[in-house]
Amino acid sequence: MAKKVSTPIEQTSRLLNLVPFLLTHQGIDVETLAKHFGVTKGIILDDLNTLWMCGLPGYTPLELIDLEFDSGYVTIRNADPLAHVRSLVGSEMVALALGLDLLATGSSDVSPEILERIKKLSDLIRVKIGGQISITDSGQSEKRALIERAITERSSVEIDYFSPHTDEVKRRTITPFDFIREESFEYVQAFCELAEGVRTFRMDRIVDISKELIPRSQGQSQVGSQERIKSSVRIIRGDRSTAESLGLSPEEVRVEGSLSLSAFSEDWLIRTLLASRGDLVIDTPEQLRRRIVQSIDSTLALYEEGAIALALSKRK
Amino acid sequence: MSRKSERLVNLTIALLATKRFLTKAEIFRTVDGYEGTPEAMERMFERDKDDLRGLGISIELGTFDPLFEDEAGYRITSSSYRLDLGPLDGGDIALLSLAASAWSGAALEEESTSALVKLESIGIDSDLESLALSPRIGATDSRFTAITEAIMNCASISFDYISSDLSVRKRQLHPYALRGRSGSWFLIAYDLDKSDQRTFRLDRISGDVLVSKKGGAFTIPDSINEGVSEIKPVSTLLLRKGRGHQFRAIATSIVIGDEWDTVDVPYFSEQWLLSLILWHRDDVLVLEPAAVQIRVREALNDMRELHG
Repeated sequence: MAKKVSTPIEQTSRLLNLVPFLLTHQGIDVETLAKHFGVTKGIILDDLNTLWMCGLPGYTPLELIDLEFDSGYVTIRNADPLAHVRSLVGSEMVALALGLDLLATGSSDVSPEILERIKKLSDLIRVKIGGQISITDSGQSEKRALIERAITERSSVEIDYFSPHTDEVKRRTITPFDFIREESFEYVQAFCELAEGVRTFRMDRIVDISKELIPRSQGQSQVGSQERIKSSVRIIRGDRSTAESLGLSPEEVRVEGSLSLSAFSEDWLIRTLLASRGDLVIDTPEQLRRRIVQSIDSTLALYEEGAIALALSKRK
Repeated sequence: MSRKSERLVNLTIALLATKRFLTKAEIFRTVDGYEGTPEAMERMFERDKDDLRGLGISIELGTFDPLFEDEAGYRITSSSYRLDLGPLDGGDIALLSLAASAWSGAALEEESTSALVKLESIGIDSDLESLALSPRIGATDSRFTAITEAIMNCASISFDYISSDLSVRKRQLHPYALRGRSGSWFLIAYDLDKSDQRTFRLDRISGDVLVSKKGGAFTIPDSINEGVSEIKPVSTLLLRKGRGHQFRAIATSIVIGDEWDTVDVPYFSEQWLLSLILWHRDDVLVLEPAAVQIRVREALNDMRELHG
């Protein structure tokens, strides 16, 4: 987003960067220039007007920077003392180094040559800033990690999803609740706001994903109530993981307090209850309580010695 | 139009263009923008020096001739001022630009924009068009920027943190490192009250991060205990075919079976392991460690009672 205001210090920094940029981009139009610097056209014009007054001591036309921009295209002359590109400051190096980290770790389709290049550049920058700030995401793609978090924290994410049937990419807000794998594809099961129902999305068809989770309240606001299962939940023991799994603020977690919980999927409710390890108990509806008991019974039955031994004996 | 930025640019030009050191008197006499009483100009100059330093421009202080006790003067050497990343080609520029673009809409967007402008000013065209990557960094809050700056400047910080029992306590810290892992940001810092190193997840910070104005308050140790490189306990699980992908993703070994696959997964916290096993209902069973299996079965029995 283009900045609309700027402090004298920010302007100074921009002016010093403007000169070498203009020297290598003679004749650039004002609009494009503003875009490059992430500011409005008004700010860039003010910058150019200020720069016009700058130069070597003496400040006669001989010493002043010579700028032309009346036509809407900018050319610069007589700016030798500022011709050098300024060195990168710490925070700029951090920004680049983290971006490179992400390129190196966030995607599996980077060729070894490119990886080599990324490493070289990263080393070059990290000579100055060290390795204190880095992304160490191990193998897992950002996409998957974010969906996993959305599942446990019951939040939504925005995805751009490619549908081969309609041959189009659509933006969807989804609230995922499970991964499924069938044959060689991985899918995510989610409530989709666009479709107003539960849909299955193939992971490799998610073209793009929002950078952050959308909190529950926002994500679910537009959803028709008929889709949701409502339940009343009692907090037996409450801690941070309870708060995070339910998307509650710390103040909302009160022991022996009741809260109503609604979800798109009964499955999600049951799983959340189980994962609370007994911190939460469903009071109503009765049917959901029975489902939970059923689920517990079938799990416990598997723990009976016979079942595990049978499973192990069938190992290939 | 700002007189201040004009003066700062003129001062930079004058100090860059000079080969010898310029005395204060010379600066006040020749650089446009210094006005008022000698004291006022003095204060103005001190502030300007700090401001330029804040922009990463270091002003060198020296004398004309070390043999005489001359008045000290100032200059900016071009070697300290100019960008020098060694020889870069179009491919390097393309990758660095891509790295900068990862911040679109995120915390360091301004910094990456100015870094990008500097790279583009070198005058080498980027030529790696074929790279179909769009990295994006998920850090949009101001805490990220504040903590980054604090680490770079070795400045103390404090913030309210939500602990695992939900109590909120003020932490006074020396921030050491920031790590992006699995979509979250973790701060590794020395806790001044606990006199020990701790790890904090950024989204568990409540409210703002206060950064001390004073830099250089501590030195970051050469090797930081990351807490992840330690040898973690391993759990052996049975996963139903086609299920339990969160475990499969981190498994160190997978033995394929008929109906059930056996996997080994390292884990950091038993609580995390318990919850994730239970989350998977009857699709995931735990074999080892035996103590974890006992706790899973206990939790199941407890919950059965609660819902019975």
